[in-house]
Amino acid sequence: MKDKFSTTSQLELTRRTMLRAAGGLAGAAALTSLPGMSGVAQAATATVNGYGVTTAQLKDWSVMTDSIGVEMDFAGTNNSVGVFLRDVVASQLGDEVDIFIFESGTEDILGPQGVYLPIDESHPELSLWERTSDDWKRSAVVQDPDGNQWGVPVIGNADSFGYFPDKLGVDADSDEEISWSVMFEDDNTRGRVAYDQTWTYSLGPAALYLQGKGDATFGDIANLTRDEAKMVVDFLIERKKAGQFRTLHSAFEEQVQLLANKEVDVINCWEPAVREANLKLGDGATKYAYTKEGYFKWGHGAYIASQAKDRDNLDQIYKVLNYFLGGEYRALQARDRGYAGPNMDLGVAYAEEQGWSEEEIAALKATEAKVNRKFAKPYVSTTTPSNADVMEEEWQRFLNA
Amino acid sequence: MSAALKAEAGSPAGTTRWTGGLAAMSGRNWVVPGFLVIWTLIVIVPLVVLFSYSFFETKHFQTVYDPSFDTWISLFQSGRFEVTLRSLRIALTVTAIELLIGYPFALWLAKGGTTKTTKAVVLALLTIPFFLDLSSRTIIWRAILGQNGLVNSILTGTNLIDAPIEWMLYTEVSVHFGMIIAFFPTMVLPVYLAINVIDEALIEASEDLGATPFQTLKNVIFPLSLPGVLAGIVFTLGPALAAWVEPSMLGGGFVNLLSNSIESAYTALKYPVVAALSTFIILLLAVLLIIMLLIARRFGDLSSTFRVLKS
Repeated sequence: MKDKFSTTSQLELTRRTMLRAAGGLAGAAALTSLPGMSGVAQAATATVNGYGVTTAQLKDWSVMTDSIGVEMDFAGTNNSVGVFLRDVVASQLGDEVDIFIFESGTEDILGPQGVYLPIDESHPELSLWERTSDDWKRSAVVQDPDGNQWGVPVIGNADSFGYFPDKLGVDADSDEEISWSVMFEDDNTRGRVAYDQTWTYSLGPAALYLQGKGDATFGDIANLTRDEAKMVVDFLIERKKAGQFRTLHSAFEEQVQLLANKEVDVINCWEPAVREANLKLGDGATKYAYTKEGYFKWGHGAYIASQAKDRDNLDQIYKVLNYFLGGEYRALQARDRGYAGPNMDLGVAYAEEQGWSEEEIAALKATEAKVNRKFAKPYVSTTTPSNADVMEEEWQRFLNA
Repeated sequence: MSAALKAEAGSPAGTTRWTGGLAAMSGRNWVVPGFLVIWTLIVIVPLVVLFSYSFFETKHFQTVYDPSFDTWISLFQSGRFEVTLRSLRIALTVTAIELLIGYPFALWLAKGGTTKTTKAVVLALLTIPFFLDLSSRTIIWRAILGQNGLVNSILTGTNLIDAPIEWMLYTEVSVHFGMIIAFFPTMVLPVYLAINVIDEALIEASEDLGATPFQTLKNVIFPLSLPGVLAGIVFTLGPALAAWVEPSMLGGGFVNLLSNSIESAYTALKYPVVAALSTFIILLLAVLLIIMLLIARRFGDLSSTFRVLKS
């Protein structure tokens, strides 16, 4: 999930957050402008300081305060793992921040380095931990490769591609699985495809497709070796030269625009982009695919800053982590962004209790079913593959070809 | 004409209190060493640090402080160095086109018999875009140049063409186009200022001596406006090299320029690659600048470039 141009709306990236995150001064700027940073120890206040991706934010944190009596002071970062790692380590953000929220991967580096505090699974405030399914709580999003528990799952989704059913000749009402070949090799879609410009988001699905086709096998699609990355890139260069891609996009707004203007028929995008496009084109004009080969599965984890162990608001921190596993957060996130997460059933129960409309409850249930179906297929992405340097380098060949 | 220049013209010895003061200041022996120390600290030292970083590597988001040429080798193997050449080529092309269309425009604006009102309006129109966000200004072109965009709709709607033109967007052509629009003011304004301060008497004298308009332009106006031209080139070339909004939004990912490549390297925290790329482009720029200085020396003093800007 890379999004360098976003200045608006759907992810509620405020302009200031973007500017703050955009420049080379991001670290320093973020530090000086984080709200609620008095430099005074947190004492026993019921405030928890959060720092991380804005996708994890509630539209209104006061809902949470009403429920669990803890206030959240949240500062957003952008989606660049480079910016995030640098801010957290170089600026020692943990001195001020209690909870970090980011896409999977940072825990593999920052966990063993001692920047994150291991999760105390038996903490009394973490009452929903027990009932949370292993699919979520034991995933690579919140554990390192050695199985250490560094985080609590917050939200997640299985990303594929958006498409126009009529252009692909697919029944608009069916949820049949479509092959990623429409993205890479289909003659009908040649020149009508938009592919994401970032290696973190685009290298994996191409490998997944080649594997599904039986052309190659990979040790770990999320972490390609140099030879594996080279093979995938060679394939993509060949397709690029064949004119398969109309454009390579790099921002959420671009995804929406490309669909809404019908500039392309297929695009590997975020699911909310399809929702946005349909707001303009009418319901069902574009769909988000169920695929044959698999998905770019991602998740956000919440991690505790190691410095927090000496603070006396650790109970409040665990209350917030527990809240992320609960029904209210689940239901609101699913309704407002279409993203799923652990304990979907609690979300449905919450919606029923709160008297949400039948339609909204049905949508929640559909989200749960959708995610269960999609999560059964490979592969879990990471922002920090250990081969990142060679993967990025190979990707440059694709961009320069 | 500024007050300083008027004062200068009016003073018989060609010096004023202001320039005399400056001369006295530079006469003091701390000014030059002081400047050199500050310059070294804020410019040279960071550059040396940057350069030395290019001999390290990044493995798994951590810099490995083990000096080698690996980063430089990878720069050439991945075709990344092409990014610098491509950036330079596009920036130079854009600058040249700006000069070709900007110079006649500036000439017309300054000496074309335009009224004060026209000048004020045109200058306002040139500067207003600076206050708008570049991304918003650029992204609009996608709705105009796209396959289903305004231009194609009109052309296909009027049966002038059968199929939509594809090269108008997501190509180097569209990137050039976007940059030419964005950097027009940075070329025109300095050139305009330079031409504007040329004394009418000189032009009239040239005509009185029987020069054709072209000869006047070639022998009087152009040499006198050269400081403005150089300033325009510097102000256009620099930002054009660093451009990232236009290549990203109008290049559709197919025009990989310096800024995009650095951005990508950053996603893997590859500071050494960023350092090597930056070093490479600084070297190229230094060569260019030396060439420009050599050319400029033929026509006179480069420091007059900045005197124009003062007026």
